[in-house]
Amino acid sequence: MERIERIESIRLSGMLPKVFENEPVADSGVWRSDVEFRRGEHWLVEAASGGGKSSLCAYIYGTREDFLGSLRFNDVDVRDIPVAEWQRIRRSHIAYLPQELALFPELTALENIRLKASLTGGVPDSRIDGWMKELGIDSRADYPVGRMSIGQQQRVAIIRSLCQPFDFIILDEPVSHLDPDNNRIAARMIQREAERQGAGIITTSVGNRLLLDNLKTIRL
Amino acid sequence: MIINRLLRKNMSPARIAGFVLSNFIGLAIVVAGVQFFCDVRSIYADDDSFIRKDYLVVNKKVSSANTVGGDAAVFSEDEIADLSSQPWVREVGRFRSVDYRVTASVEAGGRGMSTYMFFESIPSRFIDVAGSRWGYRPGSAEVPVIISKDYLTLYNFGFASSAGLPQLSESLMGGMPLRLRISSDDGSRSGEFSGRIVGFSNRLNTILVPEEFMEWSNKEFGGGNQEPGTSRLIVDVSSPGDVAIAPYLESRGMEVAGDKRASQASFLLNVATGVILGVGIVITILSFFILMLSVSILMERNREKIHTLLMLGYPLSEVGSPYRRMIALTCVLALTLSLGAVYGFRLTYIGQLEGLGGGGSVWPAISAGAVLAILTSVFNMVAVDRRICGSWRLRR
Repeated sequence: MERIERIESIRLSGMLPKVFENEPVADSGVWRSDVEFRRGEHWLVEAASGGGKSSLCAYIYGTREDFLGSLRFNDVDVRDIPVAEWQRIRRSHIAYLPQELALFPELTALENIRLKASLTGGVPDSRIDGWMKELGIDSRADYPVGRMSIGQQQRVAIIRSLCQPFDFIILDEPVSHLDPDNNRIAARMIQREAERQGAGIITTSVGNRLLLDNLKTIRL
Repeated sequence: MIINRLLRKNMSPARIAGFVLSNFIGLAIVVAGVQFFCDVRSIYADDDSFIRKDYLVVNKKVSSANTVGGDAAVFSEDEIADLSSQPWVREVGRFRSVDYRVTASVEAGGRGMSTYMFFESIPSRFIDVAGSRWGYRPGSAEVPVIISKDYLTLYNFGFASSAGLPQLSESLMGGMPLRLRISSDDGSRSGEFSGRIVGFSNRLNTILVPEEFMEWSNKEFGGGNQEPGTSRLIVDVSSPGDVAIAPYLESRGMEVAGDKRASQASFLLNVATGVILGVGIVITILSFFILMLSVSILMERNREKIHTLLMLGYPLSEVGSPYRRMIALTCVLALTLSLGAVYGFRLTYIGQLEGLGGGGSVWPAISAGAVLAILTSVFNMVAVDRRICGSWRLRR
């Protein structure tokens, strides 16, 4: 398999989680359809709970493979990507904020962020400080994440997801616990970073959506 | 490092200590076994470097009937043929002896010592001395000889001390000229030769000369008598420990010359070492599983963390490195402790053992311990890598 230098597009064709195989999927814009996410675009995947949006994110990030149909980065079928290459893609091409946040509760906010930043390099401490100030959690930098509120944890996870080079950033319900003000701040921050990198944004929501500009919406 | 702190959480010092202790015991037994074997073996091993190994010198039992009846205890041709056909026999060679008189004299410290002697020879293929040093050209005045070490002992501790002569080491004795005077039984022919000692034998109770010399000198100085029958045989056996040997020889009135106890002791030493090594290796294998189990439990408890680190994009090798380091450290610790214990203990007995002629190289034992420790850690590291690979597919 050739090495992926840049992911220009993520294409889904006839995709369906295996668990839905024997169920009728009513008018989904994603499942059993052809969809293409391109670099630079902003996408919102709207879904009811249980519609499989977290599954979609996990498929794109390579943590799950239990789907029918095909998923391609450029022309590469994700099923052909070896483990080591997936790890590289996760470090330099796709950023991911999972719904369950995947933070280490015993580490402080700053340690959680640095865990990712030190891995990918290239994100100066000053920028991390700026982001923490912007989202109002700078005073909580040395606080163990396990003792923070869900809303604060979500902001830590948002910053962590930005601490790497990426062609796409996938945000699974990133602002479900944020108030509209913080939602707007987070959206501005993510959009600014994505534009700086020329990256695409794919975000999901069951109600409280990330307030991005030029949003293309698709229903799951 | 943050990742170390994360992944070492849930580590159980008790389990790690359990591994170190059991691995220590296993390795210590193995290292001690190998070391003891090396140290003690040289006490019993009396290999003569110039004779092929695993040979027996066999003679017929001398009974009173032989003495009274006047017939020598010699082997018949049938007996030799039968012996040669035994499955444990590779080759049989005959001892030949001289048909003339020999006197040997040595000069040491300005004083001479002279004695009657005899020669025997065995086929050259049994003797492993470089061709140029063994062998004889008819007419040459120099004859290589191999003499029994007992003669040296006899000289050093019997003769030399009573006669006030200096004691001689093997190498010094080897360098001294041995004057050999040969004369025929009727005294009509005689010759002077100088003997060059090429070796001292622990097991051959005789004075050996090359077969070529035997042939030539018997023709030259012999009385033309028919050669006496073969009274001793050298037998190259495939395995000296073969249980079939003793009853066979016993039933035919033959016996093995030389110190059999040494070979029995050396056989027992081999068996005992084998048992000790077996026990040590079993314990080492058990300790290997203890380590594997404790690392597995630790990784199972940290499974979510490992998965999250992999999700963040950490390379698999980096996620495994705290566990690999832990394995390497504990194995090195156990090895160091066991080597320390064994060699500490060895200091208490090595002095006495060296007095008995023991004491061997320490490297075989250290290598055995190191090899086991390396195997234990490598297999465990492979297990760690497989487990991490498994965690990557946690949700597939």
